[in-house]
Amino acid sequence: MQNIEMLRWQLNSLVSQVQQDIYTLSTTNQSSITPVILQRLWDTTSSIHFIGELLVNQALNCYQPISDHSQIISVNNTPKNTQVPPTTPQSPNQSIPHLNGRNFTIGELANFNGKNGNPAYVAVNGTVYDVTNNRAWAAATHFGLLAGKEYSQEFASCHAGQQSILTTLPVVGRLYNE
Amino acid sequence: MNKLILPPEDLSNEAISKRLTTNALNNVNNGLINKKNLVYLELNGCSGNIISLLNGQNPDFEYAFTSMVNILYSNSLMVSEGEKAIAKLMNALEGDYILAVEGAVALKNNGLYNIIGSWKGKPLTGLEAIKLLGEKASHILAVGACATHGGVSAAKPNPSESVGINKVLTNKKMIMLPGCPVHPDWFLGTLAHLLLYGEPDTDNLNRPLMFYSTLIHDRCPRRPFFDRGIFAEKLSDKTCLFKLGCRGPVTRTDCPTRQWNGHVNWPIGDDTPCIGCAQFGFPDAMAPFISYDTTRVVKDE
Repeated sequence: MQNIEMLRWQLNSLVSQVQQDIYTLSTTNQSSITPVILQRLWDTTSSIHFIGELLVNQALNCYQPISDHSQIISVNNTPKNTQVPPTTPQSPNQSIPHLNGRNFTIGELANFNGKNGNPAYVAVNGTVYDVTNNRAWAAATHFGLLAGKEYSQEFASCHAGQQSILTTLPVVGRLYNE
Repeated sequence: MNKLILPPEDLSNEAISKRLTTNALNNVNNGLINKKNLVYLELNGCSGNIISLLNGQNPDFEYAFTSMVNILYSNSLMVSEGEKAIAKLMNALEGDYILAVEGAVALKNNGLYNIIGSWKGKPLTGLEAIKLLGEKASHILAVGACATHGGVSAAKPNPSESVGINKVLTNKKMIMLPGCPVHPDWFLGTLAHLLLYGEPDTDNLNRPLMFYSTLIHDRCPRRPFFDRGIFAEKLSDKTCLFKLGCRGPVTRTDCPTRQWNGHVNWPIGDDTPCIGCAQFGFPDAMAPFISYDTTRVVKDE
């Protein structure tokens, strides 16, 4: 399970890389760097292809057992079943993905604090993101902030104009007020 | 400095810092550049940075402080004491000097929480000293976590109301060398660069790019474990220490390649997580330093 989450994280990074390269290609007028970027695009799409095949194989091999298993898990209220099947990363201009559309109250969100084996989730502007394996959230903490909480104001004050950070995070659901 | 140094010249960090400092020494000896005065002021700190500097190599600390600069004042290293020592500090004001500052400025009770000596029978506070010396310095180096952003001295609940020196010298330009302590190369290399070429290129937080440009995570020898999701569960595990609370992913220094104690090892090389000591906001923003109750799924034995 953890490996599949990691693969999704890698896919997200690779897609961000492709988007960045396409943007660079469309804006640069230095012909000298174009071959380098094209080579990297080629390599990155190869990696995406490889990981895609890997995930399809895994999904085919364990589709049946996992669907049985996920029913048991969902009773226990853990979100592991949301990690399969793999999702295509969302590009920045798309709205909140429909997959993984779980609703959280603030109280429920507090359970996902990254302690005792739970995943680490945080909410920004009504969307709940998974930061379990995000590199800036070691031990489910980030510059004194603990996971399992709502951080719209904190995000706005420290990462103004950096919405792109959010698009790289896996979305697990929405936060709603009771 | 824009010219690339091509192989076969050694491009290791030690080689580059040695070239820089040897060059500075040669130019001083040939009279091409003037030996400058240096005042090393210690305010509200623990003397950790000066102890770290004693570990300097290429050049060693003594050679740097006698051959590269005239050291006018350092409370830890000078022979004079009491008012005689402070008299040397006051004499420094007469000429041109580079000011290196270690330790934070304690603001509470008008600076009375940090007395660095006495002058004309009155206690001299760190606050007075930094204002006096900071105004006239040709260059200012903020050395270590406390001087750059308050660091440990300003950690909660901050009883002395300590702040970084940039909060007191608001209109002065300074070079920030965060770290708890600072690596001897970061200080000596910056000093040599100042003598040779003037101020080094810095980032938007005034840290020299030659030492602080790279995320530890991006040069970490254990990065492949992170990318594959293989995480250490306890200290001494040889895999990625991310789940235990490693701050390498948010800290910019060259520790993975430069290493410490004469370039022999560094925290992650000794299986303990980076605590982000060179990140602004350390230590509060980097806590907890270690965490065992984590997102990993605990397996039954």
